[in-house]
Amino acid sequence: MDAWFWLVPVASLAALGAAYFFFRQVMAEDEGTDTMRAIAAHVRDGAIAYLRQQYKVVTTVFVVLTAVFCVFAYVLKVQNPWVPFAFLTGGFFSGLAGFIGMRTATYASARTANAARDSLNHALRVAFRAGAVMGLSVVGLGLLDVAIWFFVLSRVYPTDGPEGGHHLVLITTTMLTFGMGAAVQSLFARVGGGIYTKAADVGADLVGKVEAGIPEDDPRNPATIADNVGDNVGDVAGMGADLYESYVGVVLASAALGAAAYLGEGSDVQLKAVLAPMVVAAVGTLLSVVGVFFVRTDEGASSKQLLGALARGVNGAAVLIAALSFAVLWFMGVPNRWGMWLALISGLLTGIAIGRAAEYFTSQGYKPTRSVAEQARTGPATVIIGGMGQGMLSVAPPVLSVVVGTGLAYYFGAHFSFGLDQIGKGLYGIGFAAVGMLSTLGITLATDAYGPIADNAGGNAEMSHLPAEVRQRTDALDSLGNTTAATGKGFAIGSAALTGMALLASYVEEIKIAIKDTLEGGDTFTFPDGVHLVGKAAVPDLDATSLLSMMYHYQVTLINPKVVLGLFLGAMMAVVFSGLTMQAVGRAAGEMVDEVRRQFAEHPGIMSGTEEPDYRRCVSISTRSAQREMLVPAALAIAAPVVVGFVFGVPGVLGLLAGAGAAGFSLSMFMANAGGSWDNAKKYIEEGHLGGKGSEAHRAAVIGDTVGDPFKDTSGPSLNILVKLMSMEAIVVAGVTVAYSLL
Amino acid sequence: MTVYLYLSLIPEALIASMLPPEDFGTHFAVGSQKRSRGQAIFFEVDRDLLPADAFPLAEADRRCVAQPDGTPKRSVYLSIYRALEHVPLAALRNLHLVTDDGRVLVIAPRPYEPLAHQPAYLYQEFCPVTPRVVSRQSPDVFVAGLTDATRPFHVPRLAFCDLALGDLQTDPASTHVDDLPYPNLGHLRDCLRDLQKWPDKQNKTVLRQMTQDVLFRTVEHGFYVGDASAVLQYPMPRREELEREHYAWWRSAQMTFGA
Repeated sequence: MDAWFWLVPVASLAALGAAYFFFRQVMAEDEGTDTMRAIAAHVRDGAIAYLRQQYKVVTTVFVVLTAVFCVFAYVLKVQNPWVPFAFLTGGFFSGLAGFIGMRTATYASARTANAARDSLNHALRVAFRAGAVMGLSVVGLGLLDVAIWFFVLSRVYPTDGPEGGHHLVLITTTMLTFGMGAAVQSLFARVGGGIYTKAADVGADLVGKVEAGIPEDDPRNPATIADNVGDNVGDVAGMGADLYESYVGVVLASAALGAAAYLGEGSDVQLKAVLAPMVVAAVGTLLSVVGVFFVRTDEGASSKQLLGALARGVNGAAVLIAALSFAVLWFMGVPNRWGMWLALISGLLTGIAIGRAAEYFTSQGYKPTRSVAEQARTGPATVIIGGMGQGMLSVAPPVLSVVVGTGLAYYFGAHFSFGLDQIGKGLYGIGFAAVGMLSTLGITLATDAYGPIADNAGGNAEMSHLPAEVRQRTDALDSLGNTTAATGKGFAIGSAALTGMALLASYVEEIKIAIKDTLEGGDTFTFPDGVHLVGKAAVPDLDATSLLSMMYHYQVTLINPKVVLGLFLGAMMAVVFSGLTMQAVGRAAGEMVDEVRRQFAEHPGIMSGTEEPDYRRCVSISTRSAQREMLVPAALAIAAPVVVGFVFGVPGVLGLLAGAGAAGFSLSMFMANAGGSWDNAKKYIEEGHLGGKGSEAHRAAVIGDTVGDPFKDTSGPSLNILVKLMSMEAIVVAGVTVAYSLL
Repeated sequence: MTVYLYLSLIPEALIASMLPPEDFGTHFAVGSQKRSRGQAIFFEVDRDLLPADAFPLAEADRRCVAQPDGTPKRSVYLSIYRALEHVPLAALRNLHLVTDDGRVLVIAPRPYEPLAHQPAYLYQEFCPVTPRVVSRQSPDVFVAGLTDATRPFHVPRLAFCDLALGDLQTDPASTHVDDLPYPNLGHLRDCLRDLQKWPDKQNKTVLRQMTQDVLFRTVEHGFYVGDASAVLQYPMPRREELEREHYAWWRSAQMTFGA
């Protein structure tokens, strides 16, 4: 085993150790008054009840899918025999990452609120370290999963013998399949969590704010606890599972592309290409651990100083990974190290560009969101039209960034060439760029996860009737998090786009492996273009077949109707999936509205403050609705690659993935940015512009924000997972598609 | 049990109740079944200082009794028309501002203290009529003018508040009006320009009547009630004080969509 490999488990254990250390620090903080503890316990119980229910559903889905994969692998023998196990571990670790993050967040909210009674700096320390538990758990568990599987599989398939090169391809494509387990888990976590949180949020707002005239987080609102639980299950557990999947997906897709790109150039060179993404991710993780310690300020620090401290941690880690990755590539002796380093830098810059573009289009400090706010003066219709328009325009910068970043990464990876003769290496460069973006996920995710913790701390402060300055401090923390999280979100979105392209190549590699299994069994195989391969003797020819030749053999061209039909279906999937999740939020919110109205009507004491609302019932409604409503979108996402593969074969699946990737990326950026723009247009007015709170413009902006809620927190974030899940699944069932397709 | 008397301004009414002021405010806003919502502004009234024949107080004593199950009688209307004019200023106690969801802010009265000079004021009248008016007159002069019986039109007594005008009070064309939530700001500017243009013009009506809730955050100095002889002032706490000491009320007050 190459010595560099050991850096991966070491970084994993360091991250998990640091996560435990920060968890202990958070737990050592005082949880505050009895009321604060009671509210935190309500939220914690609700969150755990939700996760328990979600894991029941997910477990059923995993049992069914594992059984199906077992049939494919051991009965029909059309699938890699490791797939069922890899699938299960991917799902387990993804769920575990979300669980740890959410558990910590629910312990941290009251402690953060209590720390805010002391000082802003103290509250930042508690909330950020709780966020770091999540960030470091995600990367720690991700690297642990990668390290364990690589270690085990390289023992079963030695990487240093004459077959070492082929074994590396087999190992990395096998490992890629545990990405599907993570993707299924994250789909349920993101979609279910997204439906839960928005059903509770919209339900609480519509009856509480609009009908009953009571403020947000007012303890008299029966849906308040469900709303706070929603922040945890959607924004923390959902995001944790999502980014776990992105992280391991990026590392594994790059490793698989490295193995394929350098096949035939010596197993030593190939091994370095495989290990390089893992080692860069490991170094990034160690830097993240160090970065967390740098997020601190003196007592009595101003908001600006706190923002500086957060930025120092996140940007410092990004700058250091840019520098250290070159040293890593140099000392590892990775082929084309200058090119790979420049590819990584182009990935980092693409992520920063996407983050900045999102900030520009959604922050009230800039013109686009202010123009949406201006349109509120003429009513809700113009706010919605304005937000939709800005959201659509906002798609251009990130897509252009991805086009430029991906193009450059390809150019650098393919030894400074745009030619197709080095296509494998070019694609490896693209994968490596995505690794660069997510290498410091440990700390960028900490800034993302700490936002909902600060938000919940604010809710706790409000419900516990803590002094106004405590709420002001928690609001300041929340606002700081939103600013720094833009970069992290840019990296997450950009990496998803880049990984989508890398996974297309991995899919083709997996197709080759499936054909190879057929040939090694002594059977024959005929490509759609008529090329005929017979038995084991044809395996070397197949190994030598390039990605581009595979495209020719499968006639993947735009005049092949199967490809075009797949493209249409892929684009449709992105839109239909969004529609289903939006409607799910609408229905679930409707149930919540009915329940809150019923409680207010049947229990007058709630409004007068003499009777406690039945929080538990609202939590249970959100939980039940989320589980029920996520089944159809999830089933659609899981079924699509199998059905399209069965009907249209490999060209149809490639069309499906390309269509879903292109439409899904644009649609997700549109929804996220339009929703963010509406949200901040409302905040801009609430800051005292255009008439301020209570004005007609404010009323219109509140409607825009309510429309935008499911855009930005349910459908938008779910689309990335849809695209990745379909890619992962296509890879997992590639053997089935090769063996059975109608057309 | 004590029977309290309350003088509501929106709508004008004198109400007897066994509920103490804050409970009455909550009840008045959200109803006994807590299924309604609506702002309220009312004074507590000292019944000992009411003229004996102005209101059917005996009727109040007869009807305002506890229910058989012991629950207090929440409201008995004694007058729904021209009530303010029959309540002497001396009988008015604390003013209560009640938000949609029944949060109550209590403001104590004080004798009128002149405000620092302003080139223009914006007044929202509540009782007995409800126009919104721009004026060059300070509150005491404004109320004296409108209650002057020698004028062709007047009211016996007036309750009103002054609203924030921001930079508009000096410059009707000012663009620094971001925090003013008033509809049809252009018309408000026109009215202020008219005041500037015609030095003899003292007042100009901006809105003929109140159509929506009062946005308490726009109340500038406070509430006033009085006539040509005397004015009581109910100073609005400053925003910092509201945030610090009346946070629940202040949050709730900001929920309102007003005008």
